[in-house]
Formats: sequence, C-alpha cells, structure tokens
Amino acid sequence: MSKKKAEGTNLLYQLMSEARTYDDVIVMGRGDPDFDTPAHIVAAAKDAMVNHHADYSPPEGLLALREAIADRVKRVNNIDVDPATEVVVTNGGQEALFLMVLAVLSPGDEMIVPEPNYNTYADSLAFAGGVKVEVETYVQNDFRADPADVRAAISDKSRALLLVSPNNPAASVISPPDMREMLDIAISNDLMIIADDIYDLFVYDDFTHLSPASLPGGLERTLTLNAFSKAYSMTGWRLGWIVGPADLMARVRELKAAISGGTSIISQHAGIAALTGPQDAVEMMADAYRRRRRLVLDALDAMGMKYGLPQGGQFVFADIGFTGMDSGEVAQRILSEQHVLAYPGSAFSKDRKNYLRMTFLQPEDQLIEGLERMKVAMHNIMADR
Amino acid sequence: MASENKSEILAEHAANSALNKPALAPVARHNMDLSADGLRSPLDERIIAASSEALEAGHTHYVDVPGIAPLRAAIAESLNDATGARCEPGNIIVTAGVQESRFLTIQKIGENFESIAVPAVAHPGARKALGVRARNVIPLSVDAERGYLPPIAAISEVVAGGCRLLYLESPSRLSGAAYTADEVAAIGQALRDSGASAIWDQGLAPWVDGDCPSLAADEDRPALFTTIGEAFPGMGLASWHIGYIAAPEDQIPAMQSQKQIMAICTSTAAQYAALEASNLFVEARGLRMSQLSQLKSRLIEVAADRGLDVVTGDAKNIIALRASEAGAASLRDAGFDFAEGASFGAPAVIRLNVNAATADALQALS
Ligand SMILES: Cc1ncc(COP(=O)(O)O)c(C=O)c1O
Repeated sequence: MSKKKAEGTNLLYQLMSEARTYDDVIVMGRGDPDFDTPAHIVAAAKDAMVNHHADYSPPEGLLALREAIADRVKRVNNIDVDPATEVVVTNGGQEALFLMVLAVLSPGDEMIVPEPNYNTYADSLAFAGGVKVEVETYVQNDFRADPADVRAAISDKSRALLLVSPNNPAASVISPPDMREMLDIAISNDLMIIADDIYDLFVYDDFTHLSPASLPGGLERTLTLNAFSKAYSMTGWRLGWIVGPADLMARVRELKAAISGGTSIISQHAGIAALTGPQDAVEMMADAYRRRRRLVLDALDAMGMKYGLPQGGQFVFADIGFTGMDSGEVAQRILSEQHVLAYPGSAFSKDRKNYLRMTFLQPEDQLIEGLERMKVAMHNIMADR
Repeated sequence: MASENKSEILAEHAANSALNKPALAPVARHNMDLSADGLRSPLDERIIAASSEALEAGHTHYVDVPGIAPLRAAIAESLNDATGARCEPGNIIVTAGVQESRFLTIQKIGENFESIAVPAVAHPGARKALGVRARNVIPLSVDAERGYLPPIAAISEVVAGGCRLLYLESPSRLSGAAYTADEVAAIGQALRDSGASAIWDQGLAPWVDGDCPSLAADEDRPALFTTIGEAFPGMGLASWHIGYIAAPEDQIPAMQSQKQIMAICTSTAAQYAALEASNLFVEARGLRMSQLSQLKSRLIEVAADRGLDVVTGDAKNIIALRASEAGAASLRDAGFDFAEGASFGAPAVIRLNVNAATADALQALS
C-alpha cells in the first residue's frame, strides 16, 4: 500500500498500525480511554455469561437496559423518552450514528455539518447518498458553530442538522443560547436534528452541555445518540443507544434489525450494570481528564501553539500552520521520529490540513513525555525548513 | 408545527416493505418458541472463563476492525477443515452476527454490480439487508420439491441474462435443503464461465451430516466467491451475536471500511468467547449432530404418522412443513411460535426448530 494515498479513516489506520510497531510509542491519537472498564461492570458481564447467556433480546435491546437508558437521559440530559418505544440499543455510538443518518437522510438530501467534525458522519452520509453542506468554524472562536452560518447554509434540500457537542475533533461545546437558536432554526426550517452527546459527561470550566431534545419542540425532531464507550471506558464492548420520538424510532428499529439484527447480550448486561451501578469511576475518570487537559494546554502554551480551547471532550485540536506542512506529513514525522501518535486534521476535514488532534487519554507522565517529544519533533521540522 | 420532512421520512419507511418484515431472533424467547435461527445450547465453562479472563485482563478497548488476529485464524482454519476452502486469516472479517455479514456483503459487494439475484425464497434478513439501500434485485425462481433451492437451470438463466452477482443459501434457511457436491460444482461452473460472483450463506452447514458441499471449495474461489455464517454455532453464543465473512482478498477492504463506519469492531467479550469455542467446536458439534439426527428422524416419523407434509431438508436443526392456515393457527393456539414461510417468500410453509418440544408441536399441527 502506498503511504501517500491513504486519506480519512484509512490514513488514521495506517498511522495506528505503524504506531504499534514501536515499543516506546505514546498514543495521543485514537479516542480510546486508557482506563480499563471498571471492575464491577466486568463482574456483571461474567455474571451474565453464567446466568443470561442465552437470553432473548429484541433488535432494539433488552427492556431493562432501555429503562436504564431512559432514566439516564432523563437524569443527565433532561430528555423524556418511553423505554418501550423511544430507545434503541446499538453496537456502540458508531452504529447509532450510522442508523441515525440512514433513518433521516435519503439520496440527495442535505445535512448541515459544522466542520471540522467526526469523520464517520461524512462516511455514513456518503453511504446514504446524502449531501454534506459544511459550515465553517474557526480556531480564533474556539470552533464555535455560529447559528447565523447554519441559517445561511439552508437550502430547499436541507433535511437535517448535525450537532455534536462536545465536538470531535474540535472539542467545542454548543452553548445553551446557541443551542436554543439552533433548535429555532431547525423548527422554522423543518430540519431534523442529529445530536451526538457521546462526550456529554466531559465538559470543562464553566461550559455547559445542553441536549436539543430536552428543549420544547426538540424531541419530536431530534435523534440523540450516546454510548458507554467514552463515559465508562467501554470502547471494546460496542454498546450505545439512540433516543428519539416513537415515530422516527420505529424506523431506527427496523434499520437496526436489517443491519445487525441485535446487540450482544453480554454487553447489554454490562451496560445495565454501568448505568445502574456506582458512578465513582466515571467521576474519577472525568477528574483525570480535567487535570490532563490542563497539563496538555500548558505544554502547548509553552510551545506557542494555537488551539481551540477544549470546552469539552477528550481532545485538543491544535494549529500547526506555522510548520507550513500538511498535517499528514507532520503526524507521520512525529510518529516516525519521536514515536508519538497524534491525528492529522486532514483526516477529519480536507480543509484542516494545518491541524493536529491530540487526545488526553494517557496517564500524566506519558502525556508529559509525549509532549516533550512532540516539541523536539516540531523543532526538527522547523529546523529543516 | 407538523413536519413535512418527517412525514416524508415516515412515508418512505412505510413504503419499504423489505424493512418492515418481521425479524427472526437468534434465540428462542421461551420453551415453546420454535422460531429461532440459532440453537438453544448450553455454554461451556471454558468459554465463560476465556471471555471473562480476557475482559479482566483489560481487553475492553477497541480492537482491529476485521477481528482479533487469533479469531480470524481460527475461523479460517475451521472453514478450511469443514468445507475444503483455502482461506487465510486475511480473508476473514469477524462480524457482530450473521445479519451484519448479510448486510456488509450484500451492500458492499453489491456496489460493484448493477443487480443482484436473490432466491424467491430466502432468509428474511437477506431482504432486509437489501431494503436498507435500494438495489436492483432479480428474483431467482426456486424448486419447492427441492427444499425451495433455486435449480441450477434458474441460476444459469439469470447469469445468461447478464446478472453477475448472486446471493445463495445452502443449506436453505427455510428448509435446510443443501446442494449436493455435483450441484455445487455445476453452480461454480456456471458462475465461473460468466465471471459472476456469489455470496453464499452457509450458516446451517454444520447441521448437515458429513461435509456440506460449499462453493468456498471451488477451485477459483479466491476470485469470485464469498461465504457467510454464524461463527461456531451451537456453542451457546447465539445471543452474543458473532458471525463471519470469508471473502476474496480484493473484496475485504471495502467491507472492512464499511464495518469501521458502522461498528468500528466486534465486541471483545464475544470474540474471546468465540476463540475458545473454536477449540471445542468439532467435538461439541459431533455430539450435537447425533442428538439432532435422532430427534429429526423421530419427528419425520411422527409427521408421517399424522399425514403431515415435510419439506425435504438436510440440516438437522430445523424441520419445515407445508401447513394450511388452519394448521398454523392450531399450532399458534397451542402456544407454539414458529418461523413463518411467508417471511421467506413461501407462504404455505412453516419452519420449526428441532428440539425436545418439537414432537408436541407436530401433535398440535393438524
Ligand atoms: C463524536 C463521536 N460519535 C460517535 C463515536 C463512536 O463511538 P463508539 O462507537 O466507540 O461508541 C465517536 C468515537 O470516537 C465519536 O467521537
């Protein structure tokens, strides 16, 4: 395979596979928390293997899990849903995302997407035959999606608006006033909202997360995804959900049956334990991310790098325009020379060739070491210019 | 305010008859549920130990999209032993169950072709997978006397008509009827002569006595034929959702990318369980087959005594019968669930799982 050709997700996989060949690699690439799944959740999975391994689950998931999800979205997001008809359990946030896009968009329909954004939305949209209409966001505004720009992007083909908050990779959080305005725009232009709340528990400083489906008039036109992956460090379990109005969720349920039939019973039981059991591990992890974020930002400040302030999420999206090089090449050099994996912005959006996404999903000593090495790599890159 | 956009979405949904068909579950809901796709099976303690030890050791993170390497190798080896295929681990994608296998193959391999021929009688999951994104589907006629398999002549005819991708099941998911070695060779020949490709659902093959001939063993397989099925069925993993795709190397990247887009990877708990199941499968299958064979022979006798019309089928885990509306209703009234042929495309047929409750079901079927 030629190294130069890889783009988007393939480029990320190529970098990841090179990273695996280095014993001393420091991974600040993939959005996979370094913490293992909390022990009580693993114990619940083992119990399910003994006692529930052959349970029947409908395509939309076990009722007990859907009830726990309905409780959670009420408690955390103030979204009111009926577990019988308004919740579908999925193979991770990823399947949820794919299902939401397929449920709402038909060939030729436009989805308005603040950029940069999680690359799988573009991939899913391409599968559905939909059209992405990009709304730019800017580092100097901490990648705020401006409702005025969204309004300007609307056409008679617009069918949906994507709101990922906190965002991946830009780590911006849509403020409550902006979120209200986004919903107004959706209502007055008859748009469906695809809301991705996967990082809703990781919000920093004084920023607040608000789910559009919690606002008056929001639920009926919004599909909201979330997952266990990031909040409970359960990326390998492939467990997530969608909540939304019963009429749209009926379509989501049929699509789920067509795409994968159902969700693994063991993961579902683990999910029940995660949502109904002690939450101290979640708080511990959120605290750790808060500290690490500070540490990473301090190091970037010391390097004089510009970035959008991560208001939430698990990343920082930093401007490397000063190198004059494409982010793919910069990421490649940092990896080959210093064995540090960061993701090139070009994988997220063709217009983000001068950005790097770094996660803070490593222990503090690793992050310090990784940033030190990155500094050396940047120094070398500048010296070579 | 009523949403026009939403009304349109809902109208499209209502019009999509393939998607709206009822789904078959991988496991039974209760003791008198004979409709499930998978077997009711105990779970070996060694599988529980292997999976939970993997989780305790921290295998709780994302893994490779096409599956963990040892499981891909174990699936390849098992298919090679069972079907005479010559798969390498690189030919295997681990899926979150056979429905995901259907979806990925039908949609992604299908992208390369103008049309896809699908038997008039096939698992409803195949039609659901087709229903997600419009495809040009060419119906393949089937032979009711041959367990609703498409005759070789019908296959040759669609290929001669220009169709270059076929979806086939052997054994049939409705009747359990499987193509013979000669028929498989003839199908391989017909496809190869025209350069046509096939997706071959062989998920029920482990429940056929001896070797169940597979297109995967075809000489030219590397270029043309893809097989799918449940990974290590009958090992108590039906509710865990784990399946496979074995595909020519050049087909793997597109399906792997799509798997990344819609799932990232398959659950590690299920993958480590399947890996341990691979060690136990051959022996467990042997035991299971002798039980199922005996049970099915007895059921055929019971059916004959009662004058019931059994559809010939080789797979021992299911028994299909031609049943009148009234017969089906009496079965339902007696509390049994069963798979309705209508959802496969054969309205006058019902499919029952072969297990301890099936004889009672036959008694109730008048
Ligand atoms: C914004 C966003 N949505 C969805 C996902 C999918 O997550 P998962 O499938 O692991 O739950 C991710 C993963 O990184 C993400 O960043």
